[in-house]
Amino acid sequence: MDEQARSILQRIIKKTPSKRLETIIRSWNCLSEDQLHSLNYSQPKWLFLENLVSRCEVRLFNGNVTKTEIKLYKNHIHNPNQGTWHACQLFQAEDDALSVHFTQFRESFIAHLEDVVQHVSVGMKKLEDGAIWVRIAWGDNFRKPNHLKPTYLVHYLQSSYVFIHNVTPKHRPFLYQALVLATRHVSIKECHLSSRSLTAMRDLLMKQYQQVVFLVLNIFPNTDPNIEREHAESSEGRHQMACEAFGCGVLPKLETAVYKLETRYRGNSNNTLNDGDELFRGVVKFSSKNILESLRHCVSTGMAEGPVTPLLSSITQKGRNYFVITDKVSGATASQTPAPKA
Amino acid sequence: MALLTPYSKIPELNTATLLLVENEEQFQCRLADAIVQREKDVNVNVRLARKLPLPVENGETRPRIDLVVFIVNLLSEQSFLVVENSLNHLSSDYFLGKVCFVVTSARCGAVSQERLLSVRKLAASHRCPVICAEHQTDDGVTMAATRLLTILKVSAGLSPMPTTALYMSTLTRCTVPSDLDED
Repeated sequence: MDEQARSILQRIIKKTPSKRLETIIRSWNCLSEDQLHSLNYSQPKWLFLENLVSRCEVRLFNGNVTKTEIKLYKNHIHNPNQGTWHACQLFQAEDDALSVHFTQFRESFIAHLEDVVQHVSVGMKKLEDGAIWVRIAWGDNFRKPNHLKPTYLVHYLQSSYVFIHNVTPKHRPFLYQALVLATRHVSIKECHLSSRSLTAMRDLLMKQYQQVVFLVLNIFPNTDPNIEREHAESSEGRHQMACEAFGCGVLPKLETAVYKLETRYRGNSNNTLNDGDELFRGVVKFSSKNILESLRHCVSTGMAEGPVTPLLSSITQKGRNYFVITDKVSGATASQTPAPKA
Repeated sequence: MALLTPYSKIPELNTATLLLVENEEQFQCRLADAIVQREKDVNVNVRLARKLPLPVENGETRPRIDLVVFIVNLLSEQSFLVVENSLNHLSSDYFLGKVCFVVTSARCGAVSQERLLSVRKLAASHRCPVICAEHQTDDGVTMAATRLLTILKVSAGLSPMPTTALYMSTLTRCTVPSDLDED
Protein backbone atom coordinates (compact mmCIF):
# COMPACT_ATOMS: atom_id res chain seq x y z
CA MET A 1 0.00 0.00 0.00
CA ASP A 2 1.45 3.33 -0.93
CA GLU A 3 2.50 5.94 1.57
CA GLN A 4 -0.36 8.30 1.03
CA ALA A 5 -3.13 5.79 1.46
CA ARG A 6 -1.42 4.54 4.55
CA SER A 7 -1.18 8.01 6.08
CA ILE A 8 -4.81 8.67 5.41
CA LEU A 9 -5.74 5.38 6.98
CA GLN A 10 -3.56 6.21 9.94
CA ARG A 11 -5.22 9.58 10.32
CA ILE A 12 -8.68 8.05 10.25
CA ILE A 13 -7.86 5.38 12.76
CA LYS A 14 -6.29 7.89 15.10
CA LYS A 15 -9.31 10.13 15.01
CA THR A 16 -11.97 7.48 15.39
CA PRO A 17 -12.88 6.50 18.92
CA SER A 18 -12.22 2.79 19.47
CA LYS A 19 -15.86 1.94 20.00
CA ARG A 20 -16.81 3.06 16.51
CA LEU A 21 -13.80 1.58 14.76
CA GLU A 22 -15.46 -1.73 14.10
CA THR A 23 -18.59 -0.25 12.53
CA ILE A 24 -16.57 1.98 10.29
CA ILE A 25 -14.30 -0.73 8.99
CA ARG A 26 -17.26 -2.99 8.43
CA SER A 27 -18.95 -0.31 6.38
CA TRP A 28 -16.05 -0.16 3.96
CA ASN A 29 -16.84 -3.64 2.68
CA CYS A 30 -13.33 -4.45 1.67
CA LEU A 31 -12.46 -7.21 4.11
CA SER A 32 -13.98 -10.65 4.27
CA GLU A 33 -15.80 -11.85 7.37
CA ASP A 34 -12.87 -13.97 8.54
CA GLN A 35 -10.50 -11.08 8.21
CA LEU A 36 -12.89 -8.85 10.11
CA HIS A 37 -13.13 -11.35 12.92
CA SER A 38 -9.43 -11.73 13.16
CA LEU A 39 -8.89 -8.06 13.91
CA ASN A 40 -8.40 -7.27 17.54
CA TYR A 41 -9.98 -3.91 18.37
CA SER A 42 -8.48 -3.56 21.79
CA GLN A 43 -4.94 -3.31 20.51
CA PRO A 44 -3.07 -0.04 20.62
CA LYS A 45 -3.85 1.87 17.48
CA TRP A 46 -0.47 1.69 15.80
CA LEU A 47 -0.50 -2.08 16.13
CA PHE A 48 -4.04 -2.22 14.87
CA LEU A 49 -3.03 -0.22 11.84
CA GLU A 50 -0.29 -2.68 10.96
CA ASN A 51 -2.70 -5.58 11.15
CA LEU A 52 -5.23 -3.81 9.04
CA VAL A 53 -2.76 -2.84 6.36
CA SER A 54 -1.55 -6.38 6.01
CA ARG A 55 -5.06 -7.59 5.24
CA CYS A 56 -6.22 -4.97 2.81
CA GLU A 57 -6.56 -4.45 -0.85
CA VAL A 58 -5.62 -1.00 -2.00
CA ARG A 59 -8.15 -0.59 -4.75
CA LEU A 60 -11.29 -0.90 -2.74
CA PHE A 61 -9.83 1.25 -0.05
CA ASN A 62 -9.45 4.57 -1.73
CA GLY A 63 -13.07 5.12 -2.58
CA ASN A 64 -14.34 4.11 0.83
CA VAL A 65 -11.66 5.89 2.68
CA THR A 66 -12.56 9.23 1.19
CA LYS A 67 -16.19 8.77 2.11
CA THR A 68 -15.25 7.92 5.65
CA GLU A 69 -13.01 10.86 5.89
CA ILE A 70 -15.83 13.13 4.88
CA LYS A 71 -18.03 11.69 7.58
CA LEU A 72 -15.30 11.92 10.17
CA TYR A 73 -14.52 15.41 9.09
CA LYS A 74 -18.08 16.44 9.50
CA ASN A 75 -18.10 15.14 13.02
CA HIS A 76 -14.98 17.06 13.79
CA ILE A 77 -15.94 20.27 12.15
CA HIS A 78 -15.62 22.12 15.39
CA ASN A 79 -12.00 21.13 15.72
CA PRO A 80 -10.11 24.42 15.79
CA ASN A 81 -7.01 22.97 14.22
CA GLN A 82 -8.82 22.39 11.01
CA GLY A 83 -8.46 25.87 9.61
CA THR A 84 -11.03 28.31 8.29
CA TRP A 85 -14.03 27.98 6.03
CA HIS A 86 -14.95 30.65 3.51
CA ALA A 87 -18.39 31.34 2.14
CA CYS A 88 -19.28 32.12 -1.46
CA GLN A 89 -22.55 32.88 -3.13
CA LEU A 90 -23.84 31.90 -6.54
CA PHE A 91 -25.64 34.49 -8.61
CA GLN A 92 -27.99 34.64 -11.53
CA ALA A 93 -29.57 31.25 -11.47
CA GLU A 94 -30.69 29.97 -14.77
CA ASP A 95 -34.15 28.59 -15.20
CA ASP A 96 -33.37 25.02 -14.42
CA ALA A 97 -31.14 25.74 -11.42
CA LEU A 98 -33.78 24.78 -8.90
CA SER A 99 -34.36 21.42 -10.47
CA VAL A 100 -30.76 20.27 -10.19
CA HIS A 101 -30.63 17.21 -8.00
CA PHE A 102 -27.78 15.37 -6.41
CA THR A 103 -26.81 12.87 -9.10
CA GLN A 104 -27.03 15.46 -11.80
CA PHE A 105 -24.87 17.84 -9.77
CA ARG A 106 -22.34 15.16 -9.07
CA GLU A 107 -21.92 14.03 -12.64
CA SER A 108 -21.80 17.55 -13.94
CA PHE A 109 -19.34 18.78 -11.33
CA ILE A 110 -16.93 15.91 -11.72
CA ALA A 111 -17.09 16.09 -15.49
CA HIS A 112 -16.35 19.81 -15.58
CA LEU A 113 -13.57 19.57 -13.04
CA GLU A 114 -11.87 16.71 -14.78
CA ASP A 115 -12.07 18.62 -18.02
CA VAL A 116 -9.85 21.37 -16.73
CA VAL A 117 -7.72 19.56 -14.19
CA GLN A 118 -6.86 16.12 -15.39
CA HIS A 119 -5.46 14.65 -12.22
CA VAL A 120 -8.05 15.16 -9.58
CA SER A 121 -9.86 12.82 -7.26
CA VAL A 122 -13.35 13.77 -6.18
CA GLY A 123 -15.52 12.18 -3.52
CA MET A 124 -19.06 13.32 -2.84
CA LYS A 125 -21.61 12.51 -0.21
CA LYS A 126 -25.07 13.77 0.48
CA LEU A 127 -26.08 14.04 4.13
CA GLU A 128 -29.50 13.84 5.73
CA ASP A 129 -29.85 17.56 6.25
CA GLY A 130 -29.53 18.21 2.54
CA ALA A 131 -25.88 19.24 2.56
CA ILE A 132 -23.61 17.92 -0.15
CA TRP A 133 -20.04 17.37 0.97
CA VAL A 134 -17.40 17.27 -1.73
CA ARG A 135 -13.84 16.24 -1.11
CA ILE A 136 -11.28 17.10 -3.78
CA ALA A 137 -7.69 15.96 -3.92
CA TRP A 138 -5.62 17.90 -6.44
CA GLY A 139 -2.77 16.57 -8.49
CA ASP A 140 -0.89 17.64 -11.61
CA ASN A 141 1.12 16.11 -14.40
CA PHE A 142 3.91 15.04 -12.11
CA ARG A 143 2.11 14.05 -8.95
CA LYS A 144 -0.81 11.90 -8.00
CA PRO A 145 -3.72 13.59 -6.27
CA ASN A 146 -2.65 14.65 -2.82
CA HIS A 147 -5.12 13.18 -0.37
CA LEU A 148 -3.40 14.61 2.62
CA LYS A 149 -4.43 18.15 1.84
CA PRO A 150 -7.88 17.88 0.37
CA THR A 151 -10.24 20.70 -0.36
CA TYR A 152 -13.67 20.42 1.19
CA LEU A 153 -16.73 22.01 -0.27
CA VAL A 154 -20.21 22.07 1.22
CA HIS A 155 -23.24 23.10 -0.77
CA TYR A 156 -26.93 23.12 0.06
CA LEU A 157 -28.64 22.39 -3.21
CA GLN A 158 -31.63 24.68 -3.07
CA SER A 159 -29.69 27.59 -1.61
CA SER A 160 -27.12 29.69 -3.36
CA TYR A 161 -24.38 29.33 -0.77
CA VAL A 162 -21.20 27.34 -0.99
CA PHE A 163 -18.68 26.85 1.82
CA ILE A 164 -15.11 26.11 0.89
CA HIS A 165 -12.21 24.95 2.96
CA ASN A 166 -8.53 24.80 2.13
CA VAL A 167 -8.30 25.63 -1.54
CA THR A 168 -5.13 27.16 -2.97
CA PRO A 169 -5.34 30.27 -5.18
CA LYS A 170 -4.09 28.18 -8.06
CA HIS A 171 -7.01 25.79 -7.98
CA ARG A 172 -9.70 28.21 -6.98
CA PRO A 173 -10.71 29.35 -10.49
CA PHE A 174 -11.17 25.75 -11.58
CA LEU A 175 -13.32 25.06 -8.59
CA TYR A 176 -15.46 28.11 -9.16
CA GLN A 177 -15.94 27.30 -12.79
CA ALA A 178 -16.98 23.73 -12.14
CA LEU A 179 -19.36 24.89 -9.43
CA VAL A 180 -21.01 27.53 -11.53
CA LEU A 181 -21.57 25.16 -14.40
CA ALA A 182 -22.76 22.29 -12.27
CA THR A 183 -25.28 24.36 -10.34
CA ARG A 184 -26.55 26.13 -13.44
CA HIS A 185 -25.72 29.68 -12.38
CA VAL A 186 -23.85 32.42 -14.14
CA SER A 187 -21.41 33.73 -11.57
CA ILE A 188 -19.99 33.19 -8.12
CA LYS A 189 -18.71 35.76 -5.68
CA GLU A 190 -17.05 35.73 -2.29
CA CYS A 191 -19.25 36.51 0.67
CA HIS A 192 -16.48 37.95 2.81
CA LEU A 193 -17.46 35.65 5.61
CA SER A 194 -15.00 33.28 7.18
CA SER A 195 -14.98 31.29 10.37
CA ARG A 196 -13.65 28.12 11.90
CA SER A 197 -17.12 26.77 12.45
CA LEU A 198 -19.12 25.68 9.45
CA THR A 199 -22.39 25.51 11.35
CA ALA A 200 -21.98 29.10 12.51
CA MET A 201 -21.60 30.38 8.96
CA ARG A 202 -24.44 28.28 7.71
CA ASP A 203 -26.76 29.50 10.45
CA LEU A 204 -25.79 33.09 9.88
CA LEU A 205 -26.23 33.05 6.13
CA MET A 206 -29.33 30.94 6.03
CA LYS A 207 -30.85 32.89 8.91
CA GLN A 208 -31.45 29.88 11.03
CA TYR A 209 -30.83 31.51 14.35
CA GLN A 210 -33.39 33.29 16.40
CA GLN A 211 -33.75 36.75 15.02
CA VAL A 212 -37.22 37.66 16.11
CA VAL A 213 -37.22 40.24 18.83
CA PHE A 214 -40.07 40.04 21.26
CA LEU A 215 -40.78 43.00 23.46
CA VAL A 216 -38.90 41.78 26.46
CA LEU A 217 -40.92 42.85 29.42
CA ASN A 218 -39.25 40.86 32.09
CA ILE A 219 -35.71 39.88 31.26
CA PHE A 220 -34.55 39.72 34.81
CA PRO A 221 -37.10 37.54 36.50
CA ASN A 222 -37.02 38.84 40.01
CA THR A 223 -40.06 37.32 41.56
CA ASP A 224 -39.13 38.52 45.00
CA PRO A 225 -41.24 41.58 45.77
CA ASN A 226 -38.62 42.93 48.13
CA ILE A 227 -36.06 43.39 45.39
CA GLU A 228 -36.53 46.20 42.96
CA ARG A 229 -34.49 47.64 40.15
CA GLU A 230 -34.02 51.36 39.80
CA HIS A 231 -32.84 51.39 36.23
CA ALA A 232 -35.17 48.71 34.94
CA GLU A 233 -36.41 50.73 31.98
CA SER A 234 -33.05 51.70 30.66
CA SER A 235 -31.78 48.14 31.12
CA GLU A 236 -34.65 46.81 29.08
CA GLY A 237 -34.09 49.46 26.46
CA ARG A 238 -30.46 48.53 26.08
CA HIS A 239 -31.25 44.85 25.98
CA GLN A 240 -33.86 45.48 23.31
CA MET A 241 -31.37 47.46 21.24
CA ALA A 242 -28.75 44.75 21.53
CA CYS A 243 -31.18 42.06 20.47
CA GLU A 244 -32.38 44.09 17.51
CA ALA A 245 -28.88 44.56 16.26
CA PHE A 246 -27.54 41.08 16.85
CA GLY A 247 -30.43 38.71 17.43
CA CYS A 248 -31.74 36.85 20.48
CA GLY A 249 -30.88 33.54 21.99
CA VAL A 250 -27.87 31.57 20.91
CA LEU A 251 -25.82 33.37 18.29
CA PRO A 252 -23.66 31.79 15.57
CA LYS A 253 -20.09 31.41 16.72
CA LEU A 254 -17.92 33.69 14.65
CA GLU A 255 -14.41 34.37 15.82
CA THR A 256 -13.36 37.60 14.16
CA ALA A 257 -14.64 40.78 12.57
CA VAL A 258 -12.14 42.61 10.40
CA TYR A 259 -12.47 46.17 9.16
CA LYS A 260 -9.98 47.37 6.63
CA LEU A 261 -9.68 51.14 6.62
CA GLU A 262 -8.84 53.02 3.50
CA THR A 263 -9.67 56.45 4.71
CA ARG A 264 -7.86 59.68 5.28
CA TYR A 265 -6.57 60.42 8.72
CA ARG A 266 -8.69 62.96 10.55
CA GLY A 267 -7.22 64.21 13.77
CA ASN A 268 -7.33 67.30 15.90
CA SER A 269 -3.68 68.00 16.35
CA ASN A 270 -1.33 69.39 13.74
CA ASN A 271 0.91 66.57 12.86
CA THR A 272 2.25 65.20 9.67
CA LEU A 273 -0.34 62.48 9.37
CA ASN A 274 -2.98 65.10 8.69
CA ASP A 275 -1.21 66.72 5.80
CA GLY A 276 -0.82 64.03 3.26
CA ASP A 277 -3.49 63.28 0.74
CA GLU A 278 -2.59 59.66 0.91
CA LEU A 279 -4.86 57.16 2.45
CA PHE A 280 -4.20 56.05 5.97
CA ARG A 281 -4.37 52.30 5.74
CA GLY A 282 -5.20 50.38 8.83
CA VAL A 283 -6.94 47.24 9.93
CA VAL A 284 -9.22 46.96 12.94
CA LYS A 285 -9.77 43.42 14.09
CA PHE A 286 -12.15 42.25 16.79
CA SER A 287 -11.63 38.71 17.93
CA SER A 288 -13.26 36.58 20.57
CA LYS A 289 -14.45 33.05 21.07
CA ASN A 290 -17.91 34.20 20.07
CA ILE A 291 -17.71 37.72 18.69
CA LEU A 292 -21.44 38.25 18.24
CA GLU A 293 -22.14 37.27 21.82
CA SER A 294 -19.39 39.61 23.04
CA LEU A 295 -20.71 42.55 21.05
CA ARG A 296 -24.24 41.93 22.19
CA HIS A 297 -23.09 41.82 25.78
CA CYS A 298 -21.18 45.08 25.34
CA VAL A 299 -24.31 46.81 24.12
CA SER A 300 -26.76 45.34 26.60
CA THR A 301 -24.63 46.11 29.64
CA GLY A 302 -23.97 49.63 28.51
CA MET A 303 -20.23 49.28 27.92
CA ALA A 304 -20.76 50.43 24.37
CA GLU A 305 -23.04 53.40 23.87
CA GLY A 306 -26.14 53.02 21.80
CA PRO A 307 -27.51 53.21 19.18
CA VAL A 308 -25.54 50.37 17.67
CA THR A 309 -23.42 51.60 14.80
CA PRO A 310 -24.31 50.02 11.46
CA LEU A 311 -20.68 48.96 11.10
CA LEU A 312 -21.27 46.35 13.79
CA SER A 313 -24.87 45.44 13.17
CA SER A 314 -24.15 44.72 9.54
CA ILE A 315 -22.26 41.63 10.62
CA THR A 316 -25.56 39.94 11.23
CA GLN A 317 -27.68 41.98 8.85
CA LYS A 318 -25.48 41.32 5.85
CA GLY A 319 -23.86 38.10 6.95
CA ARG A 320 -20.23 39.03 6.52
CA ASN A 321 -17.28 39.67 8.77
CA TYR A 322 -14.78 41.38 6.52
CA PHE A 323 -15.46 44.99 5.64
CA VAL A 324 -13.56 47.61 3.72
CA ILE A 325 -14.30 51.14 4.78
CA THR A 326 -13.57 53.89 2.30
CA ASP A 327 -14.14 57.60 2.45
CA LYS A 328 -16.80 57.72 -0.19
CA VAL A 329 -19.29 55.51 1.60
CA SER A 330 -19.59 57.45 4.83
CA GLY A 331 -17.45 59.56 7.04
CA ALA A 332 -16.50 56.41 8.85
CA THR A 333 -13.47 56.83 11.02
CA ALA A 334 -12.18 54.73 13.82
CA SER A 335 -13.92 56.92 16.34
CA GLN A 336 -17.30 55.56 15.39
CA THR A 337 -16.57 52.11 16.67
CA PRO A 338 -17.26 51.68 20.37
CA ALA A 339 -14.43 51.86 22.81
CA PRO A 340 -13.01 48.47 23.65
CA LYS A 341 -13.50 47.06 27.13
CA ALA A 342 -10.98 48.42 29.57
CA MET B 1 -28.44 68.59 41.48
CA ALA B 2 -30.85 66.41 43.40
CA LEU B 3 -29.03 64.61 46.15
CA LEU B 4 -30.17 61.45 47.78
CA THR B 5 -30.93 62.28 51.39
CA PRO B 6 -31.44 59.82 54.21
CA TYR B 7 -33.87 61.63 56.43
CA SER B 8 -36.33 63.17 54.03
CA LYS B 9 -38.81 60.33 54.28
CA ILE B 10 -40.59 58.67 57.14
CA PRO B 11 -39.30 55.25 58.10
CA GLU B 12 -41.63 52.26 58.17
CA LEU B 13 -42.07 49.89 61.06
CA ASN B 14 -39.62 47.04 61.24
CA THR B 15 -38.35 47.71 57.75
CA ALA B 16 -34.91 48.38 56.43
CA THR B 17 -33.98 49.31 52.86
CA LEU B 18 -30.68 48.69 51.20
CA LEU B 19 -29.42 50.18 47.95
CA LEU B 20 -26.83 48.16 46.03
CA VAL B 21 -24.95 50.12 43.38
CA GLU B 22 -22.88 48.18 40.89
CA ASN B 23 -21.88 49.03 37.35
CA GLU B 24 -21.82 45.47 36.03
CA GLU B 25 -25.12 44.38 37.62
CA GLN B 26 -23.95 40.85 38.24
CA PHE B 27 -22.97 40.41 41.84
CA GLN B 28 -25.78 42.59 43.10
CA CYS B 29 -28.49 40.12 42.01
CA ARG B 30 -27.01 37.21 43.88
CA LEU B 31 -26.28 39.35 46.88
CA ALA B 32 -29.84 40.68 46.92
CA ASP B 33 -31.27 37.17 46.82
CA ALA B 34 -29.01 36.03 49.63
CA ILE B 35 -29.86 39.02 51.80
CA VAL B 36 -33.59 38.69 51.38
CA GLN B 37 -33.51 34.98 52.09
CA ARG B 38 -31.41 35.26 55.21
CA GLU B 39 -33.40 37.80 57.09
CA LYS B 40 -36.71 36.68 58.49
CA ASP B 41 -37.31 38.96 61.46
CA VAL B 42 -37.00 42.26 59.75
CA ASN B 43 -38.59 43.21 56.47
CA VAL B 44 -35.64 43.94 54.19
CA ASN B 45 -36.08 45.71 50.87
CA VAL B 46 -33.27 45.75 48.38
CA ARG B 47 -33.02 48.17 45.50
CA LEU B 48 -30.57 47.59 42.69
CA ALA B 49 -29.01 50.38 40.68
CA ARG B 50 -26.23 50.81 38.16
CA LYS B 51 -25.12 54.22 39.30
CA LEU B 52 -26.26 57.39 40.99
CA PRO B 53 -28.19 59.62 40.48
CA LEU B 54 -31.26 57.44 40.62
CA PRO B 55 -34.03 58.03 38.10
CA VAL B 56 -36.38 60.78 39.15
CA GLU B 57 -39.45 58.78 38.14
CA ASN B 58 -39.01 56.33 40.98
CA GLY B 59 -38.62 59.08 43.56
CA GLU B 60 -42.18 58.89 44.84
CA THR B 61 -42.38 55.17 45.31
CA ARG B 62 -38.89 54.76 46.66
CA PRO B 63 -38.76 54.16 50.40
CA ARG B 64 -36.23 55.70 52.70
CA ILE B 65 -32.83 54.20 52.05
CA ASP B 66 -30.97 53.18 55.18
CA LEU B 67 -27.72 51.92 53.72
CA VAL B 68 -26.03 52.58 50.39
CA VAL B 69 -23.60 49.90 49.32
CA PHE B 70 -21.16 50.52 46.47
CA ILE B 71 -19.88 47.36 44.86
CA VAL B 72 -16.55 47.77 43.12
CA ASN B 73 -15.18 45.06 40.87
CA LEU B 74 -11.41 45.43 41.00
CA LEU B 75 -11.04 43.87 37.57
CA SER B 76 -12.71 46.82 35.89
CA GLU B 77 -11.55 50.42 35.91
CA GLN B 78 -14.99 51.57 34.85
CA SER B 79 -16.46 50.11 38.04
CA PHE B 80 -14.32 52.34 40.22
CA LEU B 81 -14.89 55.45 38.14
CA VAL B 82 -18.65 55.03 38.31
CA VAL B 83 -18.52 54.72 42.09
CA GLU B 84 -16.34 57.80 42.39
CA ASN B 85 -18.79 59.74 40.30
CA SER B 86 -21.80 58.46 42.20
CA LEU B 87 -20.44 59.66 45.52
CA ASN B 88 -21.11 63.21 44.40
CA HIS B 89 -24.80 62.51 44.31
CA LEU B 90 -25.14 61.51 47.92
CA SER B 91 -26.03 63.99 50.60
CA SER B 92 -23.33 64.36 53.22
CA ASP B 93 -25.68 62.97 55.89
CA TYR B 94 -25.18 59.54 54.39
CA PHE B 95 -21.54 59.50 55.26
CA LEU B 96 -22.32 59.38 58.96
CA GLY B 97 -22.50 55.61 58.90
CA LYS B 98 -24.92 54.89 56.09
CA VAL B 99 -22.47 54.09 53.30
CA CYS B 100 -20.41 50.97 52.82
CA PHE B 101 -18.03 49.72 50.12
CA VAL B 102 -17.89 46.12 48.92
CA VAL B 103 -14.92 45.05 46.85
CA THR B 104 -14.83 41.86 44.74
CA SER B 105 -11.90 40.03 43.14
CA ALA B 106 -9.43 41.46 45.63
CA ARG B 107 -7.52 38.19 45.71
CA CYS B 108 -7.21 37.90 41.97
CA GLY B 109 -3.61 37.83 40.82
CA ALA B 110 -4.32 39.88 37.73
CA VAL B 111 -5.40 42.88 39.75
CA SER B 112 -2.88 45.58 40.45
CA GLN B 113 -2.53 46.72 44.02
CA GLU B 114 -3.16 50.33 43.15
CA ARG B 115 -6.83 49.82 42.51
CA LEU B 116 -7.51 48.31 45.90
CA LEU B 117 -5.45 51.04 47.46
CA SER B 118 -7.40 53.75 45.69
CA VAL B 119 -10.70 52.21 46.83
CA ARG B 120 -9.43 52.14 50.39
CA LYS B 121 -8.27 55.73 50.17
CA LEU B 122 -11.63 56.76 48.82
CA ALA B 123 -13.41 54.93 51.64
CA ALA B 124 -11.04 56.32 54.24
CA SER B 125 -11.54 59.87 53.09
CA HIS B 126 -15.30 59.39 53.47
CA ARG B 127 -15.01 57.51 56.74
CA CYS B 128 -16.70 54.36 55.46
CA PRO B 129 -15.97 50.68 55.92
CA VAL B 130 -14.70 48.41 53.16
CA ILE B 131 -15.74 44.77 52.94
CA CYS B 132 -13.93 42.34 50.65
CA ALA B 133 -16.33 39.78 49.21
CA GLU B 134 -15.87 36.51 47.42
CA HIS B 135 -18.44 36.54 44.66
CA GLN B 136 -17.86 33.24 42.94
CA THR B 137 -18.93 30.78 45.64
CA ASP B 138 -22.26 30.50 47.44
CA ASP B 139 -20.52 30.64 50.78
CA GLY B 140 -18.84 33.88 49.87
CA VAL B 141 -22.09 35.47 48.79
CA THR B 142 -23.80 34.34 52.00
CA MET B 143 -20.96 35.70 54.10
CA ALA B 144 -21.13 39.08 52.38
CA ALA B 145 -24.90 39.12 52.84
CA THR B 146 -24.56 38.42 56.56
CA ARG B 147 -22.05 41.20 57.07
CA LEU B 148 -24.14 43.67 55.15
CA LEU B 149 -27.22 42.72 57.13
CA THR B 150 -25.41 43.43 60.38
CA ILE B 151 -24.43 46.88 59.22
CA LEU B 152 -27.88 47.47 57.75
CA LYS B 153 -29.65 46.73 60.99
CA VAL B 154 -27.50 49.20 62.83
CA SER B 155 -27.90 51.95 60.31
CA ALA B 156 -31.66 51.42 60.15
CA GLY B 157 -31.87 51.70 63.90
CA LEU B 158 -33.10 48.14 64.34
CA SER B 159 -30.19 46.82 66.30
CA PRO B 160 -31.18 45.43 69.71
CA MET B 161 -28.22 47.01 71.38
CA PRO B 162 -28.17 50.80 71.62
CA THR B 163 -25.73 51.37 68.78
CA THR B 164 -25.87 54.24 66.37
CA ALA B 165 -24.70 54.16 62.81
CA LEU B 166 -22.17 56.87 63.45
CA TYR B 167 -20.62 55.01 66.35
CA MET B 168 -20.39 51.82 64.31
CA SER B 169 -18.81 53.50 61.38
CA THR B 170 -16.21 55.11 63.57
CA LEU B 171 -15.22 51.65 64.68
CA THR B 172 -15.30 50.02 61.27
CA ARG B 173 -14.09 52.76 58.98
CA CYS B 174 -11.39 51.95 56.55
CA THR B 175 -7.91 53.19 57.21
CA VAL B 176 -4.86 53.36 54.99
CA PRO B 177 -1.33 53.24 56.46
CA SER B 178 -0.68 56.95 56.04
CA ASP B 179 -3.75 57.67 58.19
CA LEU B 180 -2.43 55.57 61.00
CA ASP B 181 0.89 57.39 60.96
CA GLU B 182 -0.82 60.71 61.38
CA ASP B 183 -2.93 59.45 64.26
